[in-house]
Amino acid sequence: MRKTFVALTAMALVGSAVMLAAGPRLAGAQGGGTVEVEVKYNGQPVVEKLKVNKDTEKCGQETTVEKVVVGSNKGLANAVASAPNAKGAKAVKGVVDQHGCKFNPHVVLMTPGEIEIKNSDDILHNIHTYSTANAAINKAQPKFKKTMTEKFDKPEMIKLTCDVHSWMLGWVAVVPGVAAVTDNNGVAKLENVPAGKQKIEVWHETLGKQDKEVDVKAGQTTKVSFEMKGK
Amino acid sequence: MAVINLGDPYGFPQTPSSRGVDRAFRSIAMASLLLSAAAAAPGLVAAQDANAGKAVYERKCLLCHGDKGDGKGPAAELLLPKPRDFTKGIYKIRSTANKTPTDQDLLRIVTEGMPGTSMPAWEVLPERDRRNVVAYIKTFAADAFKEPPKKLDLPKEVSSSEASIKRGKEMFEAIECHKCHGVDGRADGPSRPELKDEWGHPVAPANLAKRWNFRGGRSRTEIATRLANGVLGTPMPAFLDSVEKPEDIWHLTNYIVSLGPDSPQPATLVTVSAVKDAIPDDPAADFWKKIAPNNILLEGQVIVDPRNFNPAIDLVSVRAVYNDKEIAFHLTWDDPSETTKGDGKATFPDAISLQFAPQQPTGTERPYFLMGDANEGVYLLRWEAGKGVSEVSANGPTKLSAIAGGETAGKAVFKNGQYTLVMKRPLTAAGEQRPSFRPGVFTPVAFQAWEGGAGESGPKMSLTSWYYLRLEEPQSNRRFFIPPAVALLTFAVLGMIVRAARSRAVQ
Repeated sequence: MRKTFVALTAMALVGSAVMLAAGPRLAGAQGGGTVEVEVKYNGQPVVEKLKVNKDTEKCGQETTVEKVVVGSNKGLANAVASAPNAKGAKAVKGVVDQHGCKFNPHVVLMTPGEIEIKNSDDILHNIHTYSTANAAINKAQPKFKKTMTEKFDKPEMIKLTCDVHSWMLGWVAVVPGVAAVTDNNGVAKLENVPAGKQKIEVWHETLGKQDKEVDVKAGQTTKVSFEMKGK
Repeated sequence: MAVINLGDPYGFPQTPSSRGVDRAFRSIAMASLLLSAAAAAPGLVAAQDANAGKAVYERKCLLCHGDKGDGKGPAAELLLPKPRDFTKGIYKIRSTANKTPTDQDLLRIVTEGMPGTSMPAWEVLPERDRRNVVAYIKTFAADAFKEPPKKLDLPKEVSSSEASIKRGKEMFEAIECHKCHGVDGRADGPSRPELKDEWGHPVAPANLAKRWNFRGGRSRTEIATRLANGVLGTPMPAFLDSVEKPEDIWHLTNYIVSLGPDSPQPATLVTVSAVKDAIPDDPAADFWKKIAPNNILLEGQVIVDPRNFNPAIDLVSVRAVYNDKEIAFHLTWDDPSETTKGDGKATFPDAISLQFAPQQPTGTERPYFLMGDANEGVYLLRWEAGKGVSEVSANGPTKLSAIAGGETAGKAVFKNGQYTLVMKRPLTAAGEQRPSFRPGVFTPVAFQAWEGGAGESGPKMSLTSWYYLRLEEPQSNRRFFIPPAVALLTFAVLGMIVRAARSRAVQ
């Protein structure tokens, strides 16, 4: 407890710029190292284009379903990299917004606990989850219900859908420990991973799961790369 | 003494093993009867026994729900909605706040069945068997039942009133029920074609104007419960926390109840009213609002291939009139999608037809109800989307030929998931293929309908067997004179008899 307090004070002194630079990543225990996870995919991207047949003023005339997004250098975006066993990680509340009839972000990270579900579209959506460890929910979120709070207490990758707009697809990654989502280059940085041997896991919604053991050194960046295989 | 069995009041055939158990139960019951009068209370039923339920399940449920309880029984592929897969422990109809139904919820579905689906009511089975089968069904997803049912607290009930219905309509629009259920609740919303259930099967939204088909029952409390906790495993979400005020659940309920009648009130005879005025072609004309509807129930055609086990159209409302020149039929039916052309493979034009014998039968013999046969054809007054009204001669559901030279007229309107149509033709017709209509005669009539958007075409249709249609006799002023005259005459005769009797008594 004291350790965290001291650390927070120190961080505040160093300046908020550092915190901003850290972005939305999960800050873990101090005295750890950074793991830079690179995820590659050799296959073709799967991005379905659809014509929108309802609520076009909010959803647009056309939309995309991003199932496999491959960026430059065959980097795989929207994959969850995590060190699930990293102790002392900070709790992170999930936040997802339904905007333009899409879940934003496509993959939401959170530690077990609460998630805030927003509807900034001013039309009806329904949050329909496909979960087994956590209770599945199917709740309407009409236009006047701007935010809803739900609880996901158990680690799980939860599919999010909306039955009103069948193309809407999102994921909630409920991950204990330290986690990050890969960017368009297929890179995710796990910061403050406790030093020592750590299991690094990569999960992708259609390409599955892989893990590797990495020796994390305090104050250093360890690189690890994964190559996902098509199914 | 918790286990009491008072015998099997229905005398259902039982397996030898269960008979032995029964005998044991009976002796226990006798003993307890002797010991205590309270033991005879009818409310006490045998404790649930999953093993005994297995035997019942195998006899009554397996064919659809499968021996593993996964909803993949031999008959499953013919059914829509699909039989429930019990292995997931997901149940549509719950009175609870969480996903676990109560035993009473399951027992109710077993007992009363599910309207609008292939699940029949099993109240013919003794209650003990039904309770045992519930216990057995739960074993397919034992994990799902570890979480005990949580009581759902509905908001305080608001009785129906004009103000409540108005508020319900506002809320219906605000929470966008129409996205699936349609503006008038006829299951024609824009999201309808994309809806899938937990298993990926297409699933249709409820037609809110046909309450008698509601899976979980048509009572106000049942409707409010569905709104509050949703229909699990389907796209229907829970609205308890998603209305502006909790009591809106009841306003919505009252609005939904206002959308249609409690039951279809089926007609047994189609009455054709006599009118003096000209008959309008426009189905929306005020003229038609004054004519009483005859509701005709349709069933899927399952006699010849391709069979229609899941008919889309189950009800046609018929308003019929005639004047000295014409006979006209005003038909109203729900169809979730207007299909004027179709792709010829998965979708076809919507259609409907009225079927008559080519000539008024003299005896009780009528052509084969399924659009006639090779020996004896039928006359059809038929409407097809994109083509209009025509006269057709049929010798079976695939042998149709147009009758030339007819004088038919009509107009169809499609609005918010409902067709209204007027078909007219002259009252009398020449030739062998066309019937003439005469007042006071019981004329056989049958109906067929096709929802082309659901792939209905040819033999794949909804239909009825023969009904009767009767043209009301034209009313004349004579009814105001003859009955009083008869009454007067009767009194006069009575008076004479009384007088004669009195004079005889005096003598």
